[in-house]
Amino acid sequence: MKHFTKLALAAIVAGVTAGAAVAQEHYVPNLSYRTGPFAATGIPLMNGQADYLNMLNARDGGIGGVMVNPEECETGYSTEKGVECYEKTKGAALVTQPWSTGITLQVLPKTNVDEIPILAPGYGFSPMMDGKTFQWAFNTPAGYWDAADMIIQYLEGQGDLNGKKIVHLHLDHPFGKEPLPVLELLAEQKGFELLPIPVGLKEMQNQSAQWLQIRRERPDYVIMWGWGAMNAGAITEAVKTKFPMENFIGVWWAGHDADLKLVGEDGKGYKSISWSFPNADAPVMADIRKHVVDAGKSKSNEEEMAGVFYSRGIVISAILAEGIRAAQEEYGTAEITPQQLRWGLENINMTEARISELGLDGMVPPFATSCADHTGNSGGWMLEWDGSQFVKASDHMTANVDNYRDLVAEKAGEYAQANAPWPVNEACEG
Amino acid sequence: MLYRTAGQFKTSYAADQALFPVRQDAVLLAVIAAFAWVIFPLIASEFTFQAILIPVLIFSLAALGLNILTGFAGQLSLGTGAFMGVGAYACYKMVTLMPWMNPIVAILLSGVFSAGVGVVFGIPSLRIKGFYLAIATLAAQFFLVWLFEKWAWLYNNNASGAIQVPNLDIFGLYVTGPQAASVTEYYIVLFVVSLLTYLCINLTRGNLGRTWKATRDMDIAAELIGINLMRSKLTAFAISSYIVGVAGALYVFAWKGAAEPNVFDIPLSFQVLFIAIIGGLGSIMGNFLGAILIVGLPVVLNLLPAALGIPLDSAMIEHLNIMIVGSLIVFFLIVEPHGLNALWRLIREKLILWPFPH
Repeated sequence: MKHFTKLALAAIVAGVTAGAAVAQEHYVPNLSYRTGPFAATGIPLMNGQADYLNMLNARDGGIGGVMVNPEECETGYSTEKGVECYEKTKGAALVTQPWSTGITLQVLPKTNVDEIPILAPGYGFSPMMDGKTFQWAFNTPAGYWDAADMIIQYLEGQGDLNGKKIVHLHLDHPFGKEPLPVLELLAEQKGFELLPIPVGLKEMQNQSAQWLQIRRERPDYVIMWGWGAMNAGAITEAVKTKFPMENFIGVWWAGHDADLKLVGEDGKGYKSISWSFPNADAPVMADIRKHVVDAGKSKSNEEEMAGVFYSRGIVISAILAEGIRAAQEEYGTAEITPQQLRWGLENINMTEARISELGLDGMVPPFATSCADHTGNSGGWMLEWDGSQFVKASDHMTANVDNYRDLVAEKAGEYAQANAPWPVNEACEG
Repeated sequence: MLYRTAGQFKTSYAADQALFPVRQDAVLLAVIAAFAWVIFPLIASEFTFQAILIPVLIFSLAALGLNILTGFAGQLSLGTGAFMGVGAYACYKMVTLMPWMNPIVAILLSGVFSAGVGVVFGIPSLRIKGFYLAIATLAAQFFLVWLFEKWAWLYNNNASGAIQVPNLDIFGLYVTGPQAASVTEYYIVLFVVSLLTYLCINLTRGNLGRTWKATRDMDIAAELIGINLMRSKLTAFAISSYIVGVAGALYVFAWKGAAEPNVFDIPLSFQVLFIAIIGGLGSIMGNFLGAILIVGLPVVLNLLPAALGIPLDSAMIEHLNIMIVGSLIVFFLIVEPHGLNALWRLIREKLILWPFPH
């Protein structure tokens, strides 16, 4: 009995301290997926995110003197678990990081009611750029439509696209269909033929039918919107069918080092557009090594830390931290609310100077968000696989956003109408 | 002592045929109903509604639908997920084409469409049985999910290919969509589930239920005593698919709020089938017990380490969770192969004798 009382006491003490801790921290939960079919691509991202925030805790004592709690809630990429995690964390959370298009779709309409910002860096619904309509959603620093535009720009740099044939190999899922409106628009403007080839979720690992079709069609280029097991499937199949790798370009989620290591030298020339780049010499990497890795608090390893995805995780957390800082400065308080964080995320100004102040030199292009522009359209670099790692194959590129600004407004309007009543932030300029 | 049936005399046929001839059963049900209708809505948090109460009820209903077909009529089906999808898409089309429609009516009507589809895919059951029929329903599963992806009209040509639940209200109170309060959604689900459960209990006790059971136990013998097998099997398919379709409409409209085609893929069918098997084939209550074990328990297990103050990784908890729930399933099936319902029946029989066993 005595033992039991002790236990109960301990539980109460733990409960009280935990309760007290909640009041003095930035609770930024991450709906992670370290289990399930997409774990291989999820783990490096989650590790990068967690390591950066843990580094801030260890080096600076959090952000503005308040510790950051980067707790993870495991979803396994399942939308059902996503609901569970969202409901579990939303009470205390400053931000939601849904990490899957399916979960984003479920959570997005609820944000107006719950008033919690969604941070979906580089994924989710592209019209989220329209900050007037999507007051609570952020897909900084670049959306899928930016990616589509930059890829086509890059291809245009290789020669006139008129009369060329481009295959859009994509996951048959909201994620894969996302760039189609812009690709169709560009096909019309530039005169190339666009051929979308979907890969079903069940066919991800075995794409022989799709690659047979590609062989028959003889396209000039293949662009790929792939994720998880689909990337490795497509890349090995491309090598097998001897498709010229230099004409094969993926979106940023299709540029995972481990997928290319499977084919090694044979994958040479494969490209992927990206708004992040691993820079092993950046000061932030040294700080992470010193404060997190050497302290044994990291789940990562050397090989993973050199990769594109780990560094992208760092950039994502850095964007979030910048949002928190901006909000703290504006409202003059260390402990911010989700509403204040929204203001912060709308007022991120990542200049070259700020990027190198943060120690992120060369890891992310400069960008700035505003109330009306929730993306920032940082642009990015074309990365190329040189047989053992990704290297930059282009200078900094930016998307020609004006070309599809009307499309953004149109799709955002459609969304708001389908979800009426949907409040629009009229206070925004421009 | 607690469950003594001595002294409860039946003096009329009506009393003998009552839904709950034992008084304690009725009391127990009244207590559960009071919890479900009054106490839970008063004390539950939003998390409890969204992560435990609503999904458990919806999955119970889906398993109930499957149980009518597999447990009562003996027709194995692997297409439950797709039939849920038919219900969900039908409901979506109805409320977007006819926005004036009462959402609850739309949910109840959406089952009609899945019933129609169910009957069509049930026709092979007249010629094939057992595993072969399971393969035929598997074809339905693949075909329908493919259709949800390819037929853009079904999702109103949305760029994302997913369906989004609009905000719908009844007399100014939002009942579906992001504006709806969790407690409203809960009451809708509870109302529909209670209604359909009540109907099913009576159906399975009645003429139709007996016909189904006869078909299940030996179809040739059933045919010999004059049961029309075609009618028996097709009504089972129709009613089962109706319930499953309504469950699918609730799944999207009262719970998830948005769905892409692949959520209705085969893992959902398996999940519902597991609930029905672990709950007990050929039972009504088993579906609820099974859903609590398979849908509710993992959520509670996820919360445990944090509540006890054990610092564990979220991914580690998930791994442990899968192992614990998996071993529990194996354990319960070894202890009682006929499912949780049979386990409860055993406990109840022991309780009737307790504390003076023979």
